[in-house]
Amino acid sequence: MSCAASENTRDAKPILTLEAVSFAYAQGKPVFSDVYLDVCNGSYMMVKGPSGAGKSTLLRLMNRLEEPNSGRILYHGRELVEYEPARLRRWVSYIQQTPVLVNGSVRDNLLLPFGFTANKDLERPTDDELQELLAAFLLDNVALDQNGLTCSVGQSQRLCLIRALLLKPEIMLLDEPTSALDKESRQEVEAMTEKVNTEHGVTVVMISHTEYAPACENFSEIEVRGGSVTVKEQTP
Amino acid sequence: MNPEVIPISMVDLVISLVFILAAGLVSVLHKLSLHKDLLIGTARTFIQLLIMGYALTFVFELDSVLLVMGVYVVMIVFGAQIIHGRVKEREVNYLGPTFLSMLAGYFLIAYVVTGVVVGSDPWWKPQYFVPLAGMVIGNSMSALAISLERLFTDLRAKLREVEMRLSLGADYAEASHEIMADALKAGMIPSINSMMGVGLVFIPGMTAGQVLAGSDPLMAVRYQIVVMLMMVASTALSTVVVLRLVRRRCFGPSHRLLLSPSK
Repeated sequence: MSCAASENTRDAKPILTLEAVSFAYAQGKPVFSDVYLDVCNGSYMMVKGPSGAGKSTLLRLMNRLEEPNSGRILYHGRELVEYEPARLRRWVSYIQQTPVLVNGSVRDNLLLPFGFTANKDLERPTDDELQELLAAFLLDNVALDQNGLTCSVGQSQRLCLIRALLLKPEIMLLDEPTSALDKESRQEVEAMTEKVNTEHGVTVVMISHTEYAPACENFSEIEVRGGSVTVKEQTP
Repeated sequence: MNPEVIPISMVDLVISLVFILAAGLVSVLHKLSLHKDLLIGTARTFIQLLIMGYALTFVFELDSVLLVMGVYVVMIVFGAQIIHGRVKEREVNYLGPTFLSMLAGYFLIAYVVTGVVVGSDPWWKPQYFVPLAGMVIGNSMSALAISLERLFTDLRAKLREVEMRLSLGADYAEASHEIMADALKAGMIPSINSMMGVGLVFIPGMTAGQVLAGSDPLMAVRYQIVVMLMMVASTALSTVVVLRLVRRRCFGPSHRLLLSPSK
């Protein structure tokens, strides 16, 4: 598959590529075999498929939370194993299905990654910058000093999006981030993922069970079913 | 033998079986079904300790450094096996690192105690090295088992939090920093607690043994102090080394957790 360039994204090119990737859990039957996939810069890919088909595994393979049994995964033309794992995960960020915050203030939660060695070269955002981001993600009512664990699931998920965004990732892998949310919160988080893609220029690969389709350029749908992965291009 | 020691004859040993009869009676009256275990336990106590007595007599008489080190290695092998039996972890092989850290860590501690603190000449003098090393192994073994168990349990229970940190650029050590600290604490606290109660709540086995064997109580407590401190040090040292090595094994080369989630 090549990258479909639109009017605004003429320079769309694959940044992450799966080549003949196969994966099976230890002593289990294969989850995928011989998967080829291109993730193009600036794209928004929605991953669909039945439960247990391997959608999460597909995302986890992309930042080495799982390792393929065979085949290659390339990021900017270099195999993932050539990158230091911590650095790779900063660029190819992964957000879990259920938001995970630690016991501490919202500020502590947002700044948590800045304490890790791989992120030392990043400048810590100021309180003003954090406030600005909270407002942009419709979290004006959340205070930086408030304990993160007091936030609702929907708020927590948006905080997780902001926390990942602060590391300036190139790709954001979202593992069904709206599954635990009510309709209103789900729509808010979905809108935020669009914002991440369109305003922050982050490539988004998101698993979703809903009918949601973002109004983004270069939106495509990936179907994971029966051990294979197929891409359905969206016609504008 | 010290002339003040009253010897225990084989007849006296048989008489002491009355204590086990009392315990057996409790088991029968309360339907605990422990009589079989009591019987096996009593037989093992007799057999194992008598063998140990003869083995120690042999080792003391031969006075050979190779033999002393051989006994030490055998004790470590059994210690590591007992930990392996208690922890019951199947996904990560921790026996090798545990054995090696025990071997090196306890040797260092036992050497410092016999060679430097007690000042025995040579440092491996079996009368000192074997019992001291035995006490170190026996005590630190429980601490190691507790720490390892805690490490595996917490890594599984907090898997999502560990993966969240990994996904945000943490390496394996940064992602499991708090879990590691908790596991270390869990292993070290019992030996620190035993320092708090020693002499007040209980008379430790070593002091009791030395006093019964006719030693001056003041000299016996000096030995006990050294032993208590040695145990705290050996627990800390072995636990930190074992946990560091085993924790690394819980994560693959790509710093991803290899343990499956707790069920």
